[in-house]
Amino acid sequence: MVQLNRQYDREINPGEPIHIKVVGIGGAGSNILDRVMLDGIDAADLVAINTDVQSLTASVAAHKVQLGRNLTRGLGSGGDPELGYAAAEEASDEIRSVLQGGTVIFLSVGLGGGTGSGAAPLVAQIAKEENTLVLAFAAVPFSFEGRRRCAQAEESLTRLRAVADAVVCFENDRMAEITLPRMGIHEAFAAADLTISQSIRSVAGLLQRPGLLRIGFDDVCAVLRSGDARALFGYGDAEGENRAHDALAKALKNPLMNRGALLAEAFHAIVHICGGANVTLGEVQIIMEELNRHINDQTQLFMGIGIEPRMGNRLSVSILSSLSNSAEKPVTQLAKKPIYTLEPMPKPELKPEPARPAALPEASSTPALPDRAPLVESVAERSDEELMLPRTESEPQRPQPVRLAAKPEPKNQTAAPKKVEAKQETLQFEPVSRGRFEKSEPTIIDGQDLDVPTFLRKNVKVR
Amino acid sequence: MARDNIFVGLEIGTSKICAVVAEARHDGSLKVIGVGNAPARGVRKGEIVDFETAKRCVHDAIVDAEEKSDVEISEVYLGITGSHIRSFNNRGVVVLEEGREEIDEQDLDDVRTNAREVSLPMEDCILHTIIQHYYVDGQDGVLNPVGLLGKKLEADFHIVYGIRTRIQNAIRCVKELELEPADVIINSFATAQAVLEKNQKQLGAVLIDIGGGTTDFVVYVDGAVKQSGVLAVGGDHVTNDISIGLKIPTARAEKLKVDEGNVTLGTAFPGETILLKDETGFAGREIERESLNQIIHSRLRETLEIVRRQIEADQNLHYVGAGVFITGGCSQIRGLEHLASDLFGMPVTMAHALPMAGVTSAFENPQFSTALGLVKYAHLVQMDRPSSGGLIKNAFQKLKGMFRN
Repeated sequence: MVQLNRQYDREINPGEPIHIKVVGIGGAGSNILDRVMLDGIDAADLVAINTDVQSLTASVAAHKVQLGRNLTRGLGSGGDPELGYAAAEEASDEIRSVLQGGTVIFLSVGLGGGTGSGAAPLVAQIAKEENTLVLAFAAVPFSFEGRRRCAQAEESLTRLRAVADAVVCFENDRMAEITLPRMGIHEAFAAADLTISQSIRSVAGLLQRPGLLRIGFDDVCAVLRSGDARALFGYGDAEGENRAHDALAKALKNPLMNRGALLAEAFHAIVHICGGANVTLGEVQIIMEELNRHINDQTQLFMGIGIEPRMGNRLSVSILSSLSNSAEKPVTQLAKKPIYTLEPMPKPELKPEPARPAALPEASSTPALPDRAPLVESVAERSDEELMLPRTESEPQRPQPVRLAAKPEPKNQTAAPKKVEAKQETLQFEPVSRGRFEKSEPTIIDGQDLDVPTFLRKNVKVR
Repeated sequence: MARDNIFVGLEIGTSKICAVVAEARHDGSLKVIGVGNAPARGVRKGEIVDFETAKRCVHDAIVDAEEKSDVEISEVYLGITGSHIRSFNNRGVVVLEEGREEIDEQDLDDVRTNAREVSLPMEDCILHTIIQHYYVDGQDGVLNPVGLLGKKLEADFHIVYGIRTRIQNAIRCVKELELEPADVIINSFATAQAVLEKNQKQLGAVLIDIGGGTTDFVVYVDGAVKQSGVLAVGGDHVTNDISIGLKIPTARAEKLKVDEGNVTLGTAFPGETILLKDETGFAGREIERESLNQIIHSRLRETLEIVRRQIEADQNLHYVGAGVFITGGCSQIRGLEHLASDLFGMPVTMAHALPMAGVTSAFENPQFSTALGLVKYAHLVQMDRPSSGGLIKNAFQKLKGMFRN
């Protein structure tokens, strides 16, 4: 097997380092930040922003910004987003100064409360004005936290989407599936934090790590921007003889992935494979081949490979994708266009080019904003469709259309139900393709996984 | 052991576990006195994946065999399979020391040891070293070199190896049931003992055993094992394909495969359907017969093609004179004979174990070929070495020359 030569990354590695800042806003945001800190992240500044002084002092972040010194006087915002927004406005200069100098900013925020929901859009706004790329990781409250909170979260999310380059939205309900119902409530929250932290770390990792096949921020944006509701994220690592297979299986086991079944609906996905110097071509092939069974034919895959000597004999696989709840196709294509015009940009990024961080956000933010309009509209449409779709019962978006009062294009609306049907048909096949052999060691001969039915591999039509 | 002329063959298969009890008679023939079997659970692709469950099933099969044969079983010949089992051919060389010209037993051992000295991965161990041919001073066609004069003794061996821990799983399962594994034999060899006649091996034969979880094959050329292999695809895969393709539960798919399956395409009338009866009283579902056949055909054709490609890759297919013999539970599927003869371009026989005395129904069922082969193998080993008493560690050593037959 071909051993990937570690020498390669020396040349490919761009000279320009990427300054990453991870910003936690509000109580939940700083919890996530603490988690990120505990798990360890390379070369990133951690910034905690909160109204609540107590929570702020407890935070392990290096930089801290207190919001609303005069307005809330060190207390929380009492679950009022308006107050959170006002408090952030008051401290906007301080926020600006702490965000300066970053290339990429990750916002981690728990939506639904006051500070997080209110301040996050403003922080994102400021970050954009500072010419940084903004990627927001937002946790949506548990459905049992009440309608009001969910509605606040949704509103904030819409605003955040309009500003940030990409928003990854995590549903607490989904993430808590990792924990059993009888486990402590703190564990359910911790599990949610952990998942978000893992995904922040892996996105940061894939932007920073020297890669043989690099994934740029543009790729990340392309994947995350197109969806408007759920993030699909999976991370798994393994070592040993069968590590490629095991790591992928672990990544797919992540509850956000639903065993990879949800991947079939995604239009874009990032796969990042990271390992020590001994990653083999065969292993990459195994991962990609197995993954290809979970996605549909239209899915665009961005593959990245990173060589990280610290990984030793371990191999990790991160999968990042987003899933739209509505019939997404027209919207995706709209969103894709500006990214495609950007395509030549990331290539020069391989050589050290100081102008790039400034140039990219400019280019992406201007076309991105008009794009948001159809995206926001699709939120409105979706809630109409929700009534037809059986599986979205936990979606807290119902109050949305009234408030937004967006005028949905009639063209889009007629197209929407059709798309939904088509999606359901393609869904059924992929996830079951190994059937009862799902868990057993794959039998691979001449590059074919023999556990997958022959008629599927040979494309024999069966009625 | 209750009586020392009793042999028990135990095959832990993917779909069923089968124990055959046979008695060696004074005239040198073997009489089957009981066949016990139990449906297997906890076994996938020929290997144990759920130890406790599999152990219970083995226990059931052994108890069944004990009841039917009225023999208390204490020692078994264990059949082994699994995708980890591999094989290759290697030649050993021994040069007699100065002043000695007569080849003796010790030289045979030495040449065998010499051939086994190959570098295998750490976790692997050799299961069999089977003699193919001896050469004395470069001259071939030597059947037994002991007593011949020569300077140099060479021998070709077929060496079968597998991952130690995975082989030990099956051994441990037997041992935990207070049974002593007398020997461990790979399934394809065992099956060949039961199915192929001496002259067929001499002419050259391919034996394919399509079981539940694996397809084991062995190629005989000039009476010696030339090639062997295990493919972790079997009847389970057919069932799984049907279940996925027609979207029916596995148990239903299995029944459909056995009752209605046919690998020959174009045998169904256009639009001919099979009505799936529903025990719960709901309206049944109709399934197109041609679709079912198409699924089975695709899978089995592919499986046989892979086997053929592997045999062709070693250029052994030209030396096969007696044809292809197919056995195992999955060989019962209708039309497989035609498909196989199309693929191999030579006569194909749907084989089952050659008759022995005793429980005759066992021989007619290709599902029992391997377990019957195990006792036949045990019997042959016993006859070869009447002193007996060897356990698993020195088991390989005593198989000398036996596969020449």
